[in-house]
Amino acid sequence: MTTLSLLNTPSIKKTLPLIGLLLASLLLTACSNPQNEAVDYSQQFPVADGGTMVDAMIGEPTGLIFMVSGDSASSAITAKIFNSLLTYNGDLDLKGELAENWSISQDQKTITFTLKKNLKWADGKPLTSHDVLFTWQLITNEATRSPYASDFQLVKKAEAPTPLTFTVTYAQAYAPALDSWASLQILPEHLLKGQDIHTTVFARKPIGSHHYQLDDWQQGEHIKLSRNPLAVLGPAHIEHLVTRIIPDKSAQFLELMAGHIDSMGLDPIKYSRVIPARPALKKKLNLYKELGNSYTYLGFNLKRKPFDDVRVRKAINYAIDKQEIIDGVYLGLGINIASPYKPGTRWSNPTLTPYAYNPEKARSLLKEAGFSDSDGDGVLELNGKPFAFEIVTNQNKEREKSAVIIQRRLKEIGIEVRIRAIEWASFISRFINTGDFDVVILGWGLGLDPDQYNIWHSSQQAPGQFNFVGYHNPKVDELLEKGRTEMNPDRRMAIYHDFAKELLEDSPIVYLSAGYGLTAIHKRIQGVADPVPAAGVGYDSHRWYIPQRYRQNQISEH
Amino acid sequence: MNSNLFNKVLENPLSKAGFVIIVSIFLLAMLAPLIAPYDPNDFDVKSILLAPSWQHWMGTDGLGRDVFSRMLYGGRVSLLVGFVAVGISTAIGIILGALAGYYRGWVDTVIMRLVDVMLSIPSFFLILAVIAFLTPSIINIMVVIGLTSWMSVTRLVRAEFLSLNDREFIMASRTLGAKDARIIFSHLLPNSLTPIIVSAVLGVAGAVLMESGLSFLGLGVQPPHASWGNILTDGKEYIQFAWWLSLFPGMAILITVLGYNLLGEGLRDALDPRSEAK
Repeated sequence: MTTLSLLNTPSIKKTLPLIGLLLASLLLTACSNPQNEAVDYSQQFPVADGGTMVDAMIGEPTGLIFMVSGDSASSAITAKIFNSLLTYNGDLDLKGELAENWSISQDQKTITFTLKKNLKWADGKPLTSHDVLFTWQLITNEATRSPYASDFQLVKKAEAPTPLTFTVTYAQAYAPALDSWASLQILPEHLLKGQDIHTTVFARKPIGSHHYQLDDWQQGEHIKLSRNPLAVLGPAHIEHLVTRIIPDKSAQFLELMAGHIDSMGLDPIKYSRVIPARPALKKKLNLYKELGNSYTYLGFNLKRKPFDDVRVRKAINYAIDKQEIIDGVYLGLGINIASPYKPGTRWSNPTLTPYAYNPEKARSLLKEAGFSDSDGDGVLELNGKPFAFEIVTNQNKEREKSAVIIQRRLKEIGIEVRIRAIEWASFISRFINTGDFDVVILGWGLGLDPDQYNIWHSSQQAPGQFNFVGYHNPKVDELLEKGRTEMNPDRRMAIYHDFAKELLEDSPIVYLSAGYGLTAIHKRIQGVADPVPAAGVGYDSHRWYIPQRYRQNQISEH
Repeated sequence: MNSNLFNKVLENPLSKAGFVIIVSIFLLAMLAPLIAPYDPNDFDVKSILLAPSWQHWMGTDGLGRDVFSRMLYGGRVSLLVGFVAVGISTAIGIILGALAGYYRGWVDTVIMRLVDVMLSIPSFFLILAVIAFLTPSIINIMVVIGLTSWMSVTRLVRAEFLSLNDREFIMASRTLGAKDARIIFSHLLPNSLTPIIVSAVLGVAGAVLMESGLSFLGLGVQPPHASWGNILTDGKEYIQFAWWLSLFPGMAILITVLGYNLLGEGLRDALDPRSEAK
């Protein structure tokens, strides 16, 4: 039987020692403690400059020019390197960043920004209104193909009459304008003029004006920033920021436990179960909780039957127990919402209440819509076709779990649900951009301006645009158009309250939960605002500091 | 001959252990609906991530589902995938190997070069690439694993046929005017069957591992259905805290694969004339 040696299965005699080794290593890891931490982190020290803070990110930025890269990884880095004209303070009110002040003309169409004096880029060159004008020209240039261009294309005329003044004129009053200028990172004209924005080395070696500048970027390893002594808002306290690229959340958490990274975002189980159960971790980590400006939803493909019928959408809304999802998936760290705005903000309509869990009502609505279980198999039918659909979502544990809970609840009212969880990039390219789905579970991360024109307006349905559920409601269209041109905050608020009411009534999506952002930060980082201000835990990270006693030599520091 | 072989396999304590493991896992999986204390997909948000206890022998997962029940049903998936995938690959392997070994010449050359090409592609990546184009489901996984792992069987069968082809009893039946099909199916194949069985048993171990790997990556069995691989993925996030979510499926995969390997090795030893002198 010599032919058997052709089989490429290793001999069991060779595998046995390997298995032994594996078991031994399992035992070893089970017994060893991450690190023997003797340092007491409860002491507070005065502010001191210096030190290195390390955090981690899942994916690597595609580049460091945010208007062309657009991914969240790059925004996390570029937000520390570049300034905008305006920014938000801790209470989410606008204030000047590069701009000293701004004024709006009588007809509400022209905004004039006055820049602060003596602004400098990190390379020492002056930062003037010409850089702002250049940045506007760049983002509105067709060749730049920026996903954020649309806000700025509404500007009819932009000018830099003096080095300290920059004026923009809109064809008609545009309410989200100031918010858009708070999001546009200003780029240096003297380094980018005449360059191809998509191929320039600047994307890997940026020069900005904010608290930090890029020191070193090792592909797949880390991005290291150091303090910019010329920072226009004054220097930050912490000397180096190192962002390690660790593409796996559980590996990140192991690094956090071992003290190799100082901060990371947590999921509810780690936040409320894992860390509280470990005194050693509680001793060295501060936990922060903030209601994020985002929510998770179940979205219908409104172009497909039977989801074009509002009764069917409402029935499904009534059949899903949102509190069960919040308790089971988010361990109570979520809020049941009724409008697409962060609860507690002025834009969120306080008079609206979410759809209660009411399977009886769901059944009667489906009956009204023509569904009945004519063959007695427990699944409803319409014209002989069973009511079955697929929920597609990306490989996100919370969303997968929500889908499982929804599947069970819908089965109880006679709807058969299949679940498909696939990797993010193919999820977007195969389902969202093509519109080839029945129902999705997804989330929206929102800006601070209430304008949601690009999500809900019927004109925003082209492939790649955000109204991929195919929502078309003339009343909502009108409200969204009005909201964009209304400059009076109170009248604007009333418009968005009406919009949220109409949206809730029409139920094109089912709001599942507005989740909390959960963050752990090592106690050696001091000066973190607690409770977390409305603007989020990291909004004033330039004020954070590491007392001399708590500094450590980081692995990534040479 | 078969009962003789069976006794011979059981003589060896290692292969006996393998046999007992496989039979027990089979029984557990087959009888899952009777044994499982809970519905494997029935969640309970009030008992999330409970450690093993008398109520939940292997604890509960992130949705409060009973891990023991999910393990039993997950075992069905693993075994089903193992057998169907190996069935497909063995069938293809036998057909192609028989053609190559019996007809030789250009048929042999074409089939063997095809085998070489297939073998030159790392099989896990080949499977990943194919699955990426299809809907992930148990059926697709079985078919894809089957269609990408027939090469070693082909080589095996071809080699057997080549060595048997010139033996006297084949010559005899050929001289008596037997047709090709009769020679292949009545003479060559039955005489090559034992090594094929051994290779199939070892192949099941590979397929079980492959399915676990794919489900671990989220490309296999889709939620809410359980498979050892996707229970393991759920556990990965909480390995420091909810060790039971990683340990039990990990052990199940390890023991199953070990069982098939032990049994396969035992079969091989029992069939190998050179290992006679013990």
